[in-house]
Amino acid sequence: MAVSVKIDPITRIEGHLAVRLDIDGGVIQNAYIAGEMYRGFEAILQGRDPMDAQQITQRICGVCPISHGIVSCAAQEAVYGIVPPENGRLLRNLIQGANTIQSHILHFYHLAALDYIDVQPVAEYKGNDPDLAGLKKWIESGAGSGGLYPFAPFLPKYSGNYITDPELNIMFVKHYMDAFKIRSLSHRMGAVFAGKLPHSPSIVPGGVTQPPTAHKILQFANMLNQIRTFIDTVYIPDVIELATAFPDYMLIGKGYGDLLAFGAYPETDAGDKTLLPSGIVTKGEVNDVDLFGIREDVRYSHYSSSSAAHPFESRTIPDPQKNKAYSWLKAPRYGGRPLEAGPLATVMAGYLRDEKSQIRALLDGVLKKIGRTHQDMQSTMGRHIARAIQCKIIADRCREWVDLLIPGNPTFTDFIIPDSGRGFGLTEAPRGALGHWIELKNRKIKSYQCVIPTTWNCSPRDDNGLPGPVEHALAGTAIADSENPLEAVRIVRSFDPCIACAVH
Amino acid sequence: MKNEFTRREFLVISGKLAAMMGLGASAVPDLAGALETMYSGNAKVLWLQGQSCSGCTVSLLNNSYPNPVELMTRYISMLFNTAITASTGEVSLDLINASIDRGGYYLVVEGAVPADMPEACMMGGEPVADQIIRAAKNAKAIIAVGTCAAFGGIPAAENNQTGAVGVMEFFKRKGVKANPINLPGCPAHPEWITGTLAHLLKFGKPALDGKNRPLMFYARYVHDQCPRFADYERESFADMFSGEGCLFKLGCVGPNTFGDCTIRQWNSGINSCINAGAPCIGCTSDTFALKAGFPFYRKGEILDGLK
Repeated sequence: MAVSVKIDPITRIEGHLAVRLDIDGGVIQNAYIAGEMYRGFEAILQGRDPMDAQQITQRICGVCPISHGIVSCAAQEAVYGIVPPENGRLLRNLIQGANTIQSHILHFYHLAALDYIDVQPVAEYKGNDPDLAGLKKWIESGAGSGGLYPFAPFLPKYSGNYITDPELNIMFVKHYMDAFKIRSLSHRMGAVFAGKLPHSPSIVPGGVTQPPTAHKILQFANMLNQIRTFIDTVYIPDVIELATAFPDYMLIGKGYGDLLAFGAYPETDAGDKTLLPSGIVTKGEVNDVDLFGIREDVRYSHYSSSSAAHPFESRTIPDPQKNKAYSWLKAPRYGGRPLEAGPLATVMAGYLRDEKSQIRALLDGVLKKIGRTHQDMQSTMGRHIARAIQCKIIADRCREWVDLLIPGNPTFTDFIIPDSGRGFGLTEAPRGALGHWIELKNRKIKSYQCVIPTTWNCSPRDDNGLPGPVEHALAGTAIADSENPLEAVRIVRSFDPCIACAVH
Repeated sequence: MKNEFTRREFLVISGKLAAMMGLGASAVPDLAGALETMYSGNAKVLWLQGQSCSGCTVSLLNNSYPNPVELMTRYISMLFNTAITASTGEVSLDLINASIDRGGYYLVVEGAVPADMPEACMMGGEPVADQIIRAAKNAKAIIAVGTCAAFGGIPAAENNQTGAVGVMEFFKRKGVKANPINLPGCPAHPEWITGTLAHLLKFGKPALDGKNRPLMFYARYVHDQCPRFADYERESFADMFSGEGCLFKLGCVGPNTFGDCTIRQWNSGINSCINAGAPCIGCTSDTFALKAGFPFYRKGEILDGLK
């Protein structure tokens, strides 16, 4: 029997997202994903002082502001003809690293894990852990309260095939609670140099306003040790545990297999070498990115502006009543193809580019434990594995970067803002490939365009009717109970969507 | 050090650590504690997002005392916050609607309201603007968290296409008789949020200024509590980013911005904008980011002067 199921809102992502599923014979035939919020940042930026951009664009997203701030600075620096000094580059890498680590931990434990774990066995907990004992007390008090939703925010939820082993559930709940402390610590660590998080004031074109001192280096390094221990002994083992408990999710939620990575974390002042690699991955091969191949389609998006424009030419004029449009997201395409962005793209680009890379060693180690190969990575669980590996790669390298800081050396290069010019900046946000394109006229912003990883991933159909990567990953999925489409939200969340970013 | 151990080992080690600290099983009830007196099952919080970036939700998660789990299990009952709730889809809509019908919750709004383009923020087929009005009617109190919800913020800046406004202004236009407490900041400091909730629960509505901001957080200018105040007095000004001295000539608007950020500091007291050498950009102000002609930094203005 054919049914149409709407999941609106999709929670435990950033922002306002909905999906409509056409299900027939218990299988998703077609999926239509819709971003449901628009603010119009690109129009707001027009006519402003260009230096406002790295502050304003950080406010596109409260989960990944640093990526926007850094890429906005990079776009401006291309126009101003400068690069930050070594200290400035290192500080930016550390701030961006700290924010990405908190985002990945938040995503796995707080956004995604509740689709797999069950909090209720904590009611039977008999151990000494104060967090678990406190939670048990709370569950007991709620059971007799008579309130409408005594177990919110953990219940109600979809029914389905959650983990049944009580010990495993209790362990995950404990780690869910620990992860709140670790992600908050990661933000605290970043704020040592960022001033505050989210939304850092210290990132400016030319570098960073916060000079490093021996004490700040000590603070950062000390907090990082705790975070790295958590990543190595809790986060990565938990991802393996989850992939073992849900082996079918290495097969469910397969993408197109075409991936986009811009690369991030410059290792040289010229920026010609980066920690995270760039590349377009197709059919097991990786090639360099040609930025001229990027276009943004709007046939099914709520915009009246012209379709299929390059970011330098693209405009953003809203038309909420537009016929056949179903999303506020545009549909970016590369040579007409939908690409998937995210940690999966950086990890696969690194894996395929370098046989001796840390990425390859780590991924092969994880895959061996779960009895899979890298070809299974284009999947729901593959995305979680890639995110955890990227998190470790960044955290390990931060430990080395922080030791390269030299107090007293400059963190900032001064500059003159020219009357006109064009520039762009690229990086890897926690959710994947991010680019900002800026054009100045009369020392003001003439145009500003952001092309964002979730826009690639959660895009609606393009001008040729080709579904976006998440729509494609949903199609063909068996849904056991159309009133509780748990399989679908697991797939959507594996992309870590950020709608405030994707629409902006 | 051995870096990898198994799940079971981890639990065993946790138990061993407790034993090493001299805490037997008998100590556990004290550690776990009785539920706090503030928690009575009535401290329900319904958290809705308008045109937001979720930065204020993320900021709330950075609160240390209490941390998020303690907050949600000992002090308040978080009926709905889109980033945290286990519910999704119809389950979420039913929960929100039944909660609104039952009433008696504290409504938190994060993000601006697109007053001229309701389609620019939707949930469950309903404009969030309408949802907020429905939720406001049965709320015990309303807190507009962050500058977007308080005053419009960046979504309401010049050239915006959606007619975004803060909750207070939106209610005024729609004739809704409700007076939100405003906690501006981009983001709001987590302690402004938890401190306001604590005051509401234990002592009722806190004293507010003319713009509905709690005086306990927003009574003084950033400038009055600035760590570089002495530099200002001595007229010792930084002339470029990362330099020593008062940041006024780089664009600092601390003299015109209310907030206790420099003394409270961010991320559990680790740093703040001015401490990090960054000018205050006035993120708590009702005029924050609104005018294109009032940039955050003065470099452009200085370059214009050289023309």
